[in-house]
Amino acid sequence: MNDIGEIGAGALDAGELGRSSGFLDACRRYLADRGIPEQEFPLFYCRLSETLLHRGNPERAVECARVAFELRPQAEETAHLCAWVFSNCGCHADAAAAYERLLKFRPSWVEGHRHASGSFAAAGQMDRAIVHARTASDHNPSSFEFAMHAGCLLQSARLFEQAADYFARAASIQPGEPSPLRHWSAAKFALDQHEDAVSLALQALSLGPNDCGNAVHAAELLLRTGRFDVALELISETVVRNPEDVVSLRLLSEAQMLVGRPEDALGAIDRALAIAPQMAEYHLHRANLLYRLGRLDEAAEAFGHAAELDPSNPDTKRSQLTVYFDTGRFTEALAIGGELIKTSPDNEEYAQAVLQILNRRFETLEADYVLLSEREVRPRRELRPPPGLLARLRTQGRVIQALIIRESRTRFGDSKLGYGWALLEPVLHIVMLSLVFAVMMRGRPPIGDEFFIFYYTGIIPYHLFIHTSSSMTYAISSNGSLLQLPLVGTFDVLMARGLLELLTDTLVATILLVGFGAAGLGALPHDFLGASAAALVVWLLGCGCGFINAVVNAFAKSWDKIWAQLTRLLYFCSGIFYVPGMMPEWIRDILAWNPVLHAVDWFRASFFEQYEPHWLDRSYLSAIAVVTLLAGLGLERGLQRRLHEPL
Amino acid sequence: MIMLDGVTKVYRTRAGRKTVLRDVDAVFQSGHNFGILGVNGAGKSTLIRLLAGSEAPDRGAITRYARVSFPLGFGGTFHGALSGRENVAFIARIYGARIRSTIDYVEAFSELGDYFQMPVNTYSAGMRARLAFGICLAIDFDVYLIDEVTEIGDQRFRRKCAEAFRERMLRSDIILVTHNPQTMRQYCDRGAVLANGDLTLYDDVGTALGRYHRLLQENN
Repeated sequence: MNDIGEIGAGALDAGELGRSSGFLDACRRYLADRGIPEQEFPLFYCRLSETLLHRGNPERAVECARVAFELRPQAEETAHLCAWVFSNCGCHADAAAAYERLLKFRPSWVEGHRHASGSFAAAGQMDRAIVHARTASDHNPSSFEFAMHAGCLLQSARLFEQAADYFARAASIQPGEPSPLRHWSAAKFALDQHEDAVSLALQALSLGPNDCGNAVHAAELLLRTGRFDVALELISETVVRNPEDVVSLRLLSEAQMLVGRPEDALGAIDRALAIAPQMAEYHLHRANLLYRLGRLDEAAEAFGHAAELDPSNPDTKRSQLTVYFDTGRFTEALAIGGELIKTSPDNEEYAQAVLQILNRRFETLEADYVLLSEREVRPRRELRPPPGLLARLRTQGRVIQALIIRESRTRFGDSKLGYGWALLEPVLHIVMLSLVFAVMMRGRPPIGDEFFIFYYTGIIPYHLFIHTSSSMTYAISSNGSLLQLPLVGTFDVLMARGLLELLTDTLVATILLVGFGAAGLGALPHDFLGASAAALVVWLLGCGCGFINAVVNAFAKSWDKIWAQLTRLLYFCSGIFYVPGMMPEWIRDILAWNPVLHAVDWFRASFFEQYEPHWLDRSYLSAIAVVTLLAGLGLERGLQRRLHEPL
Repeated sequence: MIMLDGVTKVYRTRAGRKTVLRDVDAVFQSGHNFGILGVNGAGKSTLIRLLAGSEAPDRGAITRYARVSFPLGFGGTFHGALSGRENVAFIARIYGARIRSTIDYVEAFSELGDYFQMPVNTYSAGMRARLAFGICLAIDFDVYLIDEVTEIGDQRFRRKCAEAFRERMLRSDIILVTHNPQTMRQYCDRGAVLANGDLTLYDDVGTALGRYHRLLQENN
């Protein structure tokens, strides 16, 4: 078989030539042509495989090795070579089978177990890999590499207790080596033996103080066991020595966060991200820090980065949602929530979160987006014609009526008696003053028998005028807020006050008359119509003055004080407690200009049949009343818009 | 439908005369909700008061082919010395609504408790707004005029208002003054921009908002 290399090369050429009909068929034909005995075929294939591998054709090498292995699996040399080819070509499962076959021939071949373990591990059959690794290390307990290999496999299979044993063995073989101690420490930590783990990690660090990995490992364990300050010191030193190591920076950030220095932690993670900007977890950590610092907008952005880099992690999105929710960006939060529900439709917690957003959105936006959708179905409304004259009059009637009711409520708002006071007050006033004058004039009135009735006939028209004109002065200023209502105008509030005064004084007059009657002073007017007309005309005069007062007072604020003085003067000039006939003629001529005096005499003449004052001019009073009323109404209409300020 | 025909309104302030509307023709069609936009001081509140009829235009005419509410805003429409109940009775009377049932509705809606019997003077601004919302909803208006009061009360009350309005908006329109584009998009389907005495109506909210944003930029 010395010419096996030459034969192989020939076979190879044949194989290359016979590419179309299949490489292995070509080889077979070549072997038959050369008359090579069949028992030498496996060896031939082995050599061919080796040559092919050397020539850089691993696929063909594997094909040949498979043929050789099938033809003669019992031959040790074949198996050995095949295993070597398989493992070099990455066919770990085949390699593992070959090694197992070899180990049948040589069960005490320790390296074989190690090789088999490596192949099984690479092929993903962890349990077989572990069996071989343990056998290898147990058969050669003085091998550091075997012990480490077994420990690492056991650790990756989460069999920490056994792993710890092998790492301990490795550590005892090479006491100066830090790596077994570090692994052992990790295994111990996984077994919840924290103290042992930390001391092993520190031991590893003392053996390899320049290895960044040792420092990071020790610092991480210290952090996890709550020794933040020691860990921070350790990791800070490491970062000073290895300023470019992102893992150390990440850990430094963690440590700073845990000792309550989030700003520094943010600086550290920013440095780490400057070096490794693609690390999703770093962005996540940064986002959490920002959230903790209350920089919510930046946190949301950072969560967004993390989610982009690692779309498979729903927790990132969940955190982003929380930040958006907290910053009131419900639309964004809702979008994230939608994605979450799409990727994890069965997650109750996500569904709850989305529901919460929807509720909040509903509350803050007053559900208006719901309104929008329902608005579509709204039927078109008929146009309502603008109100006609009759409808407008009816509305004005309602408004004035409502205003009268409201005025009667507030006039004596603080008193229990309410409107009763409005009646009682003038009644008492008239009774009191009548008594005073009755004493002063020794019980003899200028006309009639009773001073009460004489004074009554004077004071009622005077009150009608004064009450009406004065109370209308303040109608606008005291109703400012109601004038904001479109239906309520200045005319309405003025008219309501005037009408209320008419109503009140009429009631007062009636009550007094009834009272006089009850007291036996029989004092019904002989000319009821005349008395009513006098009252009505003087009331109209009062209204006219009231309109004028209200307008003037809106522009000259002290007008009401001047008016108050004028009314006091009028009390003495209107013949209330005397008759003008008692005056000298020249004084009477001056007093006759006063329209209220005419009203009093008109009213009085309707009560006392014998009283016929020659100076009484009913048309003068009526003309003055009409002129005043027209002037007042005109002023009110013309200056309406400037009478009150919008609130 | 509210029709403005050659309407001019000049507003007198201490700083001088300010023209809110200059010879404006416009029609607020029924069946649509309008959002009125305008920079501060453009006269949005005055426009709302003109539409309501609380103020009269200096020239021109405003015709309302609908029953229009009083302006629902922070300004007072109540008499301070009267109690909440008496104010409700007053407004019910002037609008010809049934007094008893209106009072009952507003009392339940506004959630003022004992304050309902107290003079309105003692109310906070929020309580007044609640009373105003209650009265406005108690009376059937065709068009509701709202002047920047979508943010009254606590969340629960706002929600209640929104629900009441949702029901009401099936029959009635609203004309709303607002600064908030979101509120505008969600309440309104048409927009109007008031600027420099000119009122422009838009068939969609987006165009109105775009014009408004350009105005804001020009002002800055």
